[in-house]
Amino acid sequence: MREKIKEQIDLLKAKGAHYVDARWYPREDSNFLFMWNGNLKENNASSQSGMGVRVLYNGAWGFSASSALTNPSAIFDRAFDNARIASERVTFPIRLAEKEAVVDSFTSPNQIDPFTVGLDEKVAFLQKMDAALNQPGVVQRFGMLEFVRKQIIFLDSEGSEIEKNIIEVFPSIHAMGIDKDGGMQRRKYQPGRTGATRGWESINETDFLANAERIVSELNQVLVADDAPNGKMSVILLNGIMFLQTHETIGHALELDRILGYELSFAGGSFVRLEDFGNLRYGSEKLTARANALEPNSPGSFGFDDDGVPAQDNLLIDKGILVGAITGRQMVEEANAKAKKQIFDGSSGANRATSFYRVPIERMTNINIDPGTDGSLEDIIANTKYGLVLDGDKSWSIGSNREQFHFACDIGWLVEDGKKKQVVKNPTYRGETLPFYNSLTAVGDESTWNVHYVENCGKGAPNQIMQLGHGVPVCRFDNVQVGE
Amino acid sequence: MSNQVIDLLQKLRQSAIKRGLQALISYHEEDSYLMRFANSAISLNTNEHLISLDFIAFDGRKKVSYSMIADPSDFESMEKGLDALVEMLPHAQALSYEPTFPVYEKDVLDERAFDPALAALTNEERLAYFNTLAEGLENDDVKLSGIFSSGTTTTAQISTANEHSQTFRSTDAQITAVLSSESLKWEVNAEQSAQKKSDLDAEGLHADLALLVKHYQEDQSVQLPVGKYTVVLGPAATAELSNIMAYYGMTGGALMQGYSFLKEEDQGKHLFSEKINLLDDPREVEIYAQNADRYGLERKPFPLIAEGRFQAFMWDQDSADEFGKTPTGHDVTHASLVMDGGEKSVATLKDLLEMPREEDILYVPYIHYMNVVNPTQGMVTGSSRFGALFLKKDGSVQVPYNVRLTQKFSDFFGERVQWVSNEQVAYNVSSSYGRRNPTALKVPRFICVKEIEISHSNPSY
Repeated sequence: MREKIKEQIDLLKAKGAHYVDARWYPREDSNFLFMWNGNLKENNASSQSGMGVRVLYNGAWGFSASSALTNPSAIFDRAFDNARIASERVTFPIRLAEKEAVVDSFTSPNQIDPFTVGLDEKVAFLQKMDAALNQPGVVQRFGMLEFVRKQIIFLDSEGSEIEKNIIEVFPSIHAMGIDKDGGMQRRKYQPGRTGATRGWESINETDFLANAERIVSELNQVLVADDAPNGKMSVILLNGIMFLQTHETIGHALELDRILGYELSFAGGSFVRLEDFGNLRYGSEKLTARANALEPNSPGSFGFDDDGVPAQDNLLIDKGILVGAITGRQMVEEANAKAKKQIFDGSSGANRATSFYRVPIERMTNINIDPGTDGSLEDIIANTKYGLVLDGDKSWSIGSNREQFHFACDIGWLVEDGKKKQVVKNPTYRGETLPFYNSLTAVGDESTWNVHYVENCGKGAPNQIMQLGHGVPVCRFDNVQVGE
Repeated sequence: MSNQVIDLLQKLRQSAIKRGLQALISYHEEDSYLMRFANSAISLNTNEHLISLDFIAFDGRKKVSYSMIADPSDFESMEKGLDALVEMLPHAQALSYEPTFPVYEKDVLDERAFDPALAALTNEERLAYFNTLAEGLENDDVKLSGIFSSGTTTTAQISTANEHSQTFRSTDAQITAVLSSESLKWEVNAEQSAQKKSDLDAEGLHADLALLVKHYQEDQSVQLPVGKYTVVLGPAATAELSNIMAYYGMTGGALMQGYSFLKEEDQGKHLFSEKINLLDDPREVEIYAQNADRYGLERKPFPLIAEGRFQAFMWDQDSADEFGKTPTGHDVTHASLVMDGGEKSVATLKDLLEMPREEDILYVPYIHYMNVVNPTQGMVTGSSRFGALFLKKDGSVQVPYNVRLTQKFSDFFGERVQWVSNEQVAYNVSSSYGRRNPTALKVPRFICVKEIEISHSNPSY
């Protein structure tokens, strides 16, 4: 197949294509198990194979994909035709930033391929978790295991040839109960990525059982708790909500395609402008954020993006100042041209597609906040006059240019005079992105930092789901509107 | 097309029987086209032709499934999916209830929503449509974005119980056109849902966009103070609210799992405005209705809200099996929700703007990033986007920005409803995250609701 692909790439180049690439997925497997209240409601295996072809012709993209591979030339011809018609409406002819041709491979680090683990063992794990969650106060409970294994062959007209073999595991457990006012409450646990690998071995049964006890205990406290207070106060965000705050108001806001207006018909734009790079005070000096696709254990690390650019670790925000973005080859060229200066030195290697039948777009890698110097969670609480410790991603809603947001959390703990007090229920907070990050007054140290995976980030048209990660510490923000 | 599909299903059925499987075999084929615009150019032109198969094997209380995106010429690979089921089934855990194995009593072929002309739409026609809707409206600052998504979806099912099969085929188009100011960051849009080629109306979208651009360029911007407003919802806002309300509140599964804001004893109670009627109506071809569900149950008009009274929960097969209920024909990938029109004639945005006003009115056509804050309270939040207007009592118009609404479904559709427009429109809510699944609702063009709380508002551009 590789030779056939190379032949077709050469043919399209001869027909006038400026650039051609193909992503052939010989096989992608997944396995999903879902146990609800002791019933194994989903026990699904799946597979897919196919090819997606991207053609750049006269400054415009065409793309085509199919699962029928007996006649690959049809996919290439279709992509070329799509590019040809797209080239009839071009305002800024697409150019691609320079890159080295790469002949290489990437295999995600793992010790045990989850597809070699028997179904009995996976079901037994879920049964143990179900039993651990089945306690007084819990009226609904579920556990999920999802495994993905994919082989991707990337070839382009610039001589790159990359093979990627990636395995991911996504485990989580959830417990729900009815509170004293009749409302459904929940706690969940998905493990942080603390190890060096991401295979079956990363699912630690002992850790899960301990956390099952914890979330049931916390849930039972929520069930009898009063509502969270309203008003302006400090919020201390634990990893289970800080990852999402980072995702929605740093990650998406700094995707260069959003900044350049390529998502305006769907996901939205960004309040960030090209002239902001190097100047904008995004947050307080305590805020340093980076896109680090080199974390070993996260789905945001993939070796090479779908432009064939190697994964990188780049600063986005340096001590509060905006310095970088999440970029691919096309967007950095356009941004530099529009800004009439060199903002970006090259692609940051973040152009990814969810499957063979979708085109790569700018996606988050691991959008991390560096650990700070304000000590442990306990230290931060001890230095807080009045506020809430918050955890859990119950609900999120963000303005179309990422300038404002509203989050609801699963649980809150009142903090008064440096002491963590009672649990409160239904906590929400809202704010505006820049004032919020400029009110960042404490960033936890390494002891508070871990990588939280995201398995379902949506973007693009046609829509795409992407997997990525966020390494975040505990953070405190002051003068935040809580409630409403 | 359909014969080929049925032939394939019959072959797979024989293979399943040969392997001793009691199985449901489902087929999904999409021929999808999407032309995307950004910065007044075609930013992407794409098509996908994908065939997916789903196999579910049953063995008493055990159930396992296998899904694949298949090469139609590679029957051997398809059979490997059946082999996987044979391997998985002994290791499955028995459910606490008996899952229903589908037995189709007759052949079903439903192609009411298929239009050969829309299926054959060309790239040139998609481009011409966008050129028409944007004609004269773009400049160095105001740029065109959008999508023209169209395609054909074929689904079919057969079970090993007998040779009967059901096949459904539909065509759909979803068009979103956005005009945005690069310097001021405002954005307005116009949208269309189509089931047949003759539905396409580029001139209509042009008129909507031209009107909104005029107001956004000429009228004063305003940061609305937080507080209570009389709000007129546009079709996008009404459709999204109705869809989420039905999904979270009106399914048997959500009820039993404790997520619904409605309770079993609420059936028959007057919980919404008498002006609100909501129906799942499989007669509505315009919104891609199907006449049978995945288990072969005939779908019939199913009232959810009648003159403000909540009527009944929708039960899919699995939830009905688990909780001992009667399934209601709702094992479908999309319902066909229709909210009735009311008595006031307000057909267009121009009509709304020209109506005499006794108070200030906030027009919210679209609620961006709507999410459920508290499911058991039926509370949602989201921000205005794409052409919100503040219609002042004195006849003038102002342009607000990022107005956040955090309210309950009962606030939007309860006693605060003032009037419902007589005119209805199909609004397309399809996403393309997974397989093509054309989904639309038919909703009133406008609904006016008083005392809607605005909890946050950004400085306008």
